[in-house]
Amino acid sequence: MNYTFDFNAVSLGPLIEGLVVTVQLTIAANLIGVILGFPLALLLMSRLAVIRWPATLFVEFFRCTPAIVQIVWFFYCVPMLFNVFLGSVTMGILALGLNLMAFNAEAYRAAIQAVPREQIDAGIALGLNPLQRVFHIVLPSALRASVPVLLTNGIVIFQQSALVAIVAVQDLMYQAKTLATETYRPIETFTIAALIYFAVSFPVSQVVGWLERRRQILTS
Amino acid sequence: MTSASAPLVAIRALHKSYGPHIQVLKGLDIEMKPGERVVVIGPSGGGKSTLLRVMMGLEKIDSGAVTFGGKPYISSAGPDAKTVIDTEVRRSIGMVFQHYTLFPHLSVIQNLVLAPCKVRGEKKASAMRRAQALLERFGLGAKANAFPAQLSGGQKQRVAIARALMLDPKLMLFDEVTSALDPELVAEVEQVILQLANQNMPMMIVTHDMWFARNIASRVIFCAGGVVVEDGPPEQVLGAPREERTREFIDRVFHIKQ
Repeated sequence: MNYTFDFNAVSLGPLIEGLVVTVQLTIAANLIGVILGFPLALLLMSRLAVIRWPATLFVEFFRCTPAIVQIVWFFYCVPMLFNVFLGSVTMGILALGLNLMAFNAEAYRAAIQAVPREQIDAGIALGLNPLQRVFHIVLPSALRASVPVLLTNGIVIFQQSALVAIVAVQDLMYQAKTLATETYRPIETFTIAALIYFAVSFPVSQVVGWLERRRQILTS
Repeated sequence: MTSASAPLVAIRALHKSYGPHIQVLKGLDIEMKPGERVVVIGPSGGGKSTLLRVMMGLEKIDSGAVTFGGKPYISSAGPDAKTVIDTEVRRSIGMVFQHYTLFPHLSVIQNLVLAPCKVRGEKKASAMRRAQALLERFGLGAKANAFPAQLSGGQKQRVAIARALMLDPKLMLFDEVTSALDPELVAEVEQVILQLANQNMPMMIVTHDMWFARNIASRVIFCAGGVVVEDGPPEQVLGAPREERTREFIDRVFHIKQ
């Protein structure tokens, strides 16, 4: 291989600008996902089929279709179906946020259902009413258990957000693509872009690992 | 005040099944006098734990009733009827489970004060004082701020007992509370229960530990196949059972070959 690397040809400025957009997308999507995922989880566990089924369908739609299809679908179909025209960034946030909301709802649901039946029995034996059992026994334990999964889902969305570049959101991936075309240096540009994604994701995944190890000790 | 002879608990014609085919309790009748310490023994699946769970109001029943201090607090008119539970009366009863069931996200003392504060509206400071005193009494004073995961099984179970006592129960139910413990930790938990027995706490205990049963019981009930097979003082039921089924069970448990 006689390719000469030239990392100096890649200017970091646009990439950093792109990273800022990517981080904004990630934060906005996570706000939607973390906050709205919880009520959605409650709907998923409803005893009433009329409530449970639409919620399940919503979650399965996002779990069973590729994220890139969801983003493209949103970009083209939402304006036509609902006659609303939103900016591409808003559209990207909505697509990523709803996707994350579906995955987080599953995380919340699994954590709530993993609270042992015996814990609830103990609450009944102590005279706590149903609401007190939910707020003092089920939720504290379930929310703690769901934190590592929520963080993992959040960082996955950080990476998935690269997909919104195809609908012209000027995120890190979009800037990298543009830069690669302009400089004829795709190898260097995408290597740097990958390193930037890695530099953000890696510490978070380390935190998740640490939280899980700590939890294992605390619950054994 | 109930008179000395009036039953503290009366269980009448109690039927309970899981699904259409598994009948666990088939018409149980038990009366328990104040101050009695009833140990329920019997083969697995005989309905012992289910009995305690019903008394605690953790299970639906098919029919029958349970009264406490003369007041019916659990009743059902039939298999399709709703099980009616008087939660006010139920609060007089405390229960300890096989698997500790401490709340893992709360410290030991928080486990103790949660129910008194939330259920009875006790002031936090007063509940904390009582909790600390109770922990000292059980040799756990230094563990007040520890979390359940930092305790041994025996310590967890003693905390669970203290937690139940915080609500001043008039009756304690112990459901195989030493079955999950390492053998060397059993004694410390049994000591605490014996301590309660010495203070005349009425209790119903399900256990497989026959030596403990003999030590603590004022009365032993042998339960099998969902009915009471034999009921009497420990010397009789454990020492010289009258019923053939009881004898077989006792022999097997004590590994005595005829």
